[in-house]
Amino acid sequence: MITVKNIHKSFGDNHVLNGIDYHIEKGEKIAIIGASGSGKSTFLRCLNLLERPTDGQIFIDDEEITAPGVDINKVREKIGMVFQHFNLFNNLTIMDNITLAPVQLGKMAKEEAEDKAIELLKRVNLEDKASAYPSQLSGGQKQRIAIVRSLAMNPEVMLFDEPTSALDPEMVGEVLQVMKELADDGMTMVVVTHEMGFAREVASKVVFIDEGIIKEENEPNEFFDNPKDPRLKEFLSKVL
Amino acid sequence: MSEFKRKFVQDFIDDNRWHFITDGLINTIIITLLALVMGVIIGVIVSIIRCAYDQRDENSKHYFLAFANAICKVYIAVIRGTPALVQLLIMYFIVMVTAESKIVVAVITFGINSGAYVAELFRGGIMSVDKGQLEAGRSLGLSYVQTMKKIILPQAFKASLPALINEFIALLKETSICGYIGLNELTRGGDIIRGTTYDALLPLLTVALIYFVLVMIISYLASLVERRLRKSDNR
Repeated sequence: MITVKNIHKSFGDNHVLNGIDYHIEKGEKIAIIGASGSGKSTFLRCLNLLERPTDGQIFIDDEEITAPGVDINKVREKIGMVFQHFNLFNNLTIMDNITLAPVQLGKMAKEEAEDKAIELLKRVNLEDKASAYPSQLSGGQKQRIAIVRSLAMNPEVMLFDEPTSALDPEMVGEVLQVMKELADDGMTMVVVTHEMGFAREVASKVVFIDEGIIKEENEPNEFFDNPKDPRLKEFLSKVL
Repeated sequence: MSEFKRKFVQDFIDDNRWHFITDGLINTIIITLLALVMGVIIGVIVSIIRCAYDQRDENSKHYFLAFANAICKVYIAVIRGTPALVQLLIMYFIVMVTAESKIVVAVITFGINSGAYVAELFRGGIMSVDKGQLEAGRSLGLSYVQTMKKIILPQAFKASLPALINEFIALLKETSICGYIGLNELTRGGDIIRGTTYDALLPLLTVALIYFVLVMIISYLASLVERRLRKSDNR
């Protein structure tokens, strides 16, 4: 479903990605781990072109999205993204946060979008917050809403950029629970995370990015129990 | 007391001299409001061009945007770099020398002048909105323009409102220089009475008081608007 061919990204003289090749099948759940500054977030942000790779190609369903002239807005409609800092629209109610994109982009009529929003809010037990503003919610609630907002567009794949890193510890569980349910429903997911328990339990593959390249990739049990790359061993010994 | 009454009658009642004040007040209000509307329109457009250029995708060429951005920068530099009075005189005696109405000259001058200040304060408002808001909008598939319109600008407007009110108030008072081109606005109205009756105290204090009351009204209305806009950040 997503194929990445030899992508590089540099900001000036700072080479963040140094040639990443990867392929993600439909329904896979990929967990990406690595130290801060390793390029894992940049890699994720390249997948929906929030960062444009300096070199290399990205294909989604055989369409090269890095080709010139591609309507990136159309591509992004299929790719949901959840951010570390939630980025809910501060000037809109929760309901408007969720319905804005589907209605603006002509995916749904307003009533249809609102019905869908209520249904999604029920799924994360926040239907009573529909008319609240983001500033009235806790971090965990905001992140669940942010996930719902992405789901309202019926995306084919969901990208998560450290979705629990900005949360108070007691709120991490509720967000991971929603992500777990999403995974069980068969959503294709790419998750940059520091939650090793989540990676082991939910991911179908775990990827270790270091110095802008993929140093190791494996299914979770083998990845965590029998790491081969020395940098990964060092990394795991620090975080586990 | 009777001396005060005599002066009051002489300054305002005789020959219907109060007309100088009221006519001037009307002109001041007309110039201020129209110039403000023009200034806000110019300011919004210029600030969006400046921000769109700053946030452009560096991998593709934007010749038109770069050109528009350069023009906006020159415009802001020139307007901020010269006194409003000099701009007014240049407009009146050189650029719009054939204009029939002094009010039109004043509105255009102050509109252009105010636009430069509004552009910068509004740009500050746009920059103050967390860039995650733009990223979230874009990652949902919304275009830059849609995201600006629905997400960024409403927040930027709220953030710049106090500065915008400041600009409004400054503009109101700055229209007093229109007397230099013989336009009968509020200040000149009072000054004409002073020149006729040789009494400076009452006409000028009256003028000052009217400006003060106008500014108080603007401040009050602004506080109402701000309270309405604040509903999205009650915690």
